Amino acid sequence: MSSSLRNRVVGHGRKRLPFDVDSVGLTGLLLVAPGAVLFLSFMLFPIAFLVYLSFTDATHAGTVLGGEASMIGFENYIELFTDPQFWQSFGVTWLFLAVSLAIKVVLATGIAMILTHARVLGKRFMRALVIVPMGFPAIFVITVWEGMFSGARYGPLNQIAGTYNSIVSGLVGLLDSLLFFVTISAPELLLADIPIQWLSGRWSAFAAYIITEVWLAYPFIVIIIVSALQDVPMDLHDAAKVDGAGYVHRFFNVTLPAIKRPVLFASILTAATSFQQFLIPFIFNGGGPSRQNELLILYGYREAIELHEYAFASAIMVTAIAFIGMFMWLAVKKGNLAEGIDS
Amino acid sequence: MSRLTRYTTSIGRWTARKLTWPRRAVDSARLTVEQVRTGRRTVRDVAKTGASTTGAVALLLVLLFPVYWVLAASLSQGSGLMSSQGIFADPTSYNLEAYRWVLFESSFTYAAVNSLIVVSITVLVSMSVIIPGAYALSRREFLGRRGILYGYVLFTQVGAGLSIATLIALYALFVNFGLDNNLLVLGVFYAAGAIPFNTWLLKTFMDNIPVSYEEAAIIDGASQWQVIREIILPLSKPGIAVVLVFTFLAGWNEFVIAQTLLQSHNYTLSVELYSLIAGGGYETPWTEFSAFAILFALPVAIIYFLAQSYVEDGLSFGGMSG
Repeated sequence: MSSSLRNRVVGHGRKRLPFDVDSVGLTGLLLVAPGAVLFLSFMLFPIAFLVYLSFTDATHAGTVLGGEASMIGFENYIELFTDPQFWQSFGVTWLFLAVSLAIKVVLATGIAMILTHARVLGKRFMRALVIVPMGFPAIFVITVWEGMFSGARYGPLNQIAGTYNSIVSGLVGLLDSLLFFVTISAPELLLADIPIQWLSGRWSAFAAYIITEVWLAYPFIVIIIVSALQDVPMDLHDAAKVDGAGYVHRFFNVTLPAIKRPVLFASILTAATSFQQFLIPFIFNGGGPSRQNELLILYGYREAIELHEYAFASAIMVTAIAFIGMFMWLAVKKGNLAEGIDS
Repeated sequence: MSRLTRYTTSIGRWTARKLTWPRRAVDSARLTVEQVRTGRRTVRDVAKTGASTTGAVALLLVLLFPVYWVLAASLSQGSGLMSSQGIFADPTSYNLEAYRWVLFESSFTYAAVNSLIVVSITVLVSMSVIIPGAYALSRREFLGRRGILYGYVLFTQVGAGLSIATLIALYALFVNFGLDNNLLVLGVFYAAGAIPFNTWLLKTFMDNIPVSYEEAAIIDGASQWQVIREIILPLSKPGIAVVLVFTFLAGWNEFVIAQTLLQSHNYTLSVELYSLIAGGGYETPWTEFSAFAILFALPVAIIYFLAQSYVEDGLSFGGMSG
């Protein structure tokens, strides 16, 4: 392996600058080393340390390096995989990932198609506006959405729910005055029970997570789909139209093949970030109610920082990192990462 | 001085182009009316376009509602945004009271200083390793070049959240070495995290500088150092500017690590923003929060978008466009 790698490297070198005489490229190595070392010391070293910790019985940040921790082998992992809270957290993380990804892709495809449509005026301007959420810091977006989901009587979404209620009762009232022979009032089923405590219910909190996650990530997918759609020649659409293809037909045979690969790639990347989502549950309600929505990373964080189960938490994080590694592998396999490297 | 004038003229021209859209809209409306009258376009056709555009605008309004809300909230101090007056408060009651509070009475300026300390360390440290690294990866051949590039790309695309997964190990290490609650260390940590993406970005930028410039300089007897100083660095200035913005943002925006490591007198803006709403459930001061959030996020959002269009103009991200 090393000799073929070396051949490739040397072959590559001939295409580059003519003056680099030393075969190992000492200058280049020296120039790139500080960055690589700095990055590795803050990334790879903690991961190695995390793996070590997961085999010990450390409980506090203090005992971790104090020499009070001893090796206990795989006990943390056994405990972890028999802990119902882990499976709860693991399941809800995948559910969160799947639901948010599906909504993201559908929404972003819709937005991208609308904002590249020939009949929409001011497309460029609207495209610039629609990706605005991408420019905000995550903490800003998430805290603002927490405000939106405020459980107060006059929280924004509760006000909207109130407007919805008055529309429903208004319609029913209209019906009531039309049908003068019977008295009907708005059915309870159709009305929202205001104020809604969005973040206190299990599924309403989960929905709040999803909406926020979608809002955080859709601009990225929109950008990618828009650029893919712009590469589709108009002739193709016109030809399909001439052949009598309807709208649905054209979507599946012209649009979809053009955006399939970019969407797949973007999906892998955003799925990886969703899997690592920590801030949304942390800020909204701490993964509540009663730890039902505790996403994986938050689960590990809480076990370490709040519940002082350091070694156990390390086992959680190592498991999470293993899955993140899987996403990386997927991105390499399915995306064309390697192509960029030789450029 | 002449450079300054050049920048101002180009910004002025850009603004003029953006600001003349009402005139262009009126022009095209007039053209449409003309076309309908002379029978070159049917009313049905125009109506279809109008309906599509209205639909798109409606979609946009729904999507950007949170942005409207935070803007309106920040301007509605004392006029009861969170009251029966509704989310669409009377614009005549808008005031800047909340901004005054944030700037003069809250800990905004104090936290801003902390943020700036962290960010300047991040920018200094990361730039000093990113520029040489990007140059080497773009122009030199050395053992392990592909490996390093590969690793960088991997972390660029997927591994951004890894730092939270490793957070507890970092926390333990920092506490044991007494390095937690230290703005300096935090700045260096952010710099380390910013290396893969930004090195990759600058490397791609440098790849677009033709090698023939350097060859010509070498034939004229320039040394390697002269080539770097006289050709590579001046020509990659726009790329360096973009990297500067991104490393700045890396330090400015980060929250989780700062929140875990810092104590209250060292809070950066992002942590301070969170502590505003973490205080009390129902009594969250939403108007003050909104003003704080906007002062924290809006400047960087604007810079981000300027940098973003710059990047998109000059480069295509490897693999990003599929």
